[in-house]
Amino acid sequence: MSHDTRPRGGFGMLMRSLLIQGAWNYRTMLGSGFAFALLPALKRLYGNDPNALARAIERHSEHFNAHPYLAPIALGAIARLESDQVDVETIRRFRTAVRGPLGGLGDTLVWATWLPLVAVCSLVLYWFGVPGWGVVLAFVLVYNVGHLGLRVWGLWLGLDAGRDVGARLTAVDLGSWARRLQGPLVIGLGVLCGAVLSAPGGLSSIGPAWSALAAVAFVLGLVGGHRAWRPAAMATVGAIAFIGLWGILS
Amino acid sequence: MTELLRFGVLGGLLGLDGTAVGQFMMSRPLVAGWLSGWAAGAPGLGITIGAILELFLLVSFPTGGARFPEGSTAAVVAVGVAVPFDGSGAVAASVAMGLVWGEVGGWSVTMQRRVNSRLVPTGVASRTGSLGRAHLLAIVTDFLRGAVVSMVGVALGRAGLGVVDARWPVDPSVSTGVLYVGAAVSLGILLHDLGGFRRRRILFVLGLAFGIVGARFL
Repeated sequence: MSHDTRPRGGFGMLMRSLLIQGAWNYRTMLGSGFAFALLPALKRLYGNDPNALARAIERHSEHFNAHPYLAPIALGAIARLESDQVDVETIRRFRTAVRGPLGGLGDTLVWATWLPLVAVCSLVLYWFGVPGWGVVLAFVLVYNVGHLGLRVWGLWLGLDAGRDVGARLTAVDLGSWARRLQGPLVIGLGVLCGAVLSAPGGLSSIGPAWSALAAVAFVLGLVGGHRAWRPAAMATVGAIAFIGLWGILS
Repeated sequence: MTELLRFGVLGGLLGLDGTAVGQFMMSRPLVAGWLSGWAAGAPGLGITIGAILELFLLVSFPTGGARFPEGSTAAVVAVGVAVPFDGSGAVAASVAMGLVWGEVGGWSVTMQRRVNSRLVPTGVASRTGSLGRAHLLAIVTDFLRGAVVSMVGVALGRAGLGVVDARWPVDPSVSTGVLYVGAAVSLGILLHDLGGFRRRRILFVLGLAFGIVGARFL
């Protein structure tokens, strides 16, 4: 792909990548969304040959999965491979090779670190008495600087590196970014726990027994991990339902 | 009915953000709760409910094909249920309804994705036009899914809360206490995910001390 043609196809792919999960399904997962997002590049390459375009769409609609924010890396790299006229089988193997790492890396970096970090900090703002609109604005702005930055950078990296995207990703080491963010997230989590405990209207204002119960519940989550979530949520719903029923019957 | 429709549209749009369009995380309970409250003229109630639900759903993310409670539906329904009531149990009961309906929303996302399997074209049918149409159709049906699930949740929740609101037997602080105890499990799970207390104790305790002092004096 020549540098002067990259931005137009790239912008279209970037915009369409926002809809990449639009038709997420259990058969092809992101497959059809991937082809949908790749269309601007494919049209530029095969626009004069409807059959070649249809075959390319068919190829790229096959099963694919990745984290939606990191999928632009694969989009850019594959657009570059298509434009370099790399053979179909190599592109298919490349697609298969990148989907696992892009999924795992995205889940670790975004869902398990960036999102909780921004959410925890926003909740801290709320508990520290910042007005609701300020909390929401801070969350949306900060979160999406990271989100959109990742999408733009990923697409640029893919378009630039093509088949070398793996080596470039290894050099950047996104996994280390996740590890670096975990320290601030732990501090933020501690601040949030302290704020829920001692803020006006928090647990300590209700009574020490509630603080003790919350500490026990915290330890349950700490020990049980994700297995504890659903039982805890359902126990909460059950307790609230019991109180309501008690009110009706008494 | 207009108010129900408003919550339906909001539920549909925010549901799309969570799964299909953009994923700007406007669908997180904190944002969805405030937006729902703002749309109903009660942003303070919205952020209160959104913050409590966010505590619960801090460890729930839209990962790939996993089944997860839908935070946007939970928040829209909880706020939609709570708005007309001012009894001592309104917030607690509506958050409970939100938690239940978030699971219903999660189930409906799974169903939507099964429907999408039939909508997306295969083989030679996957040409430019049909691919775009299938994509658009999947997004529209996903919007309708979110809207219907939210409207049904708000309608059912209001009917239920109408029965118990005036007879709520305990002080609001007790109801809130129950919610915080339930939410504390999620905070524990998050620390578990980050390596556990033993590995992270210094940073966690430092944060805890700052949180206790900060929330009192800042």
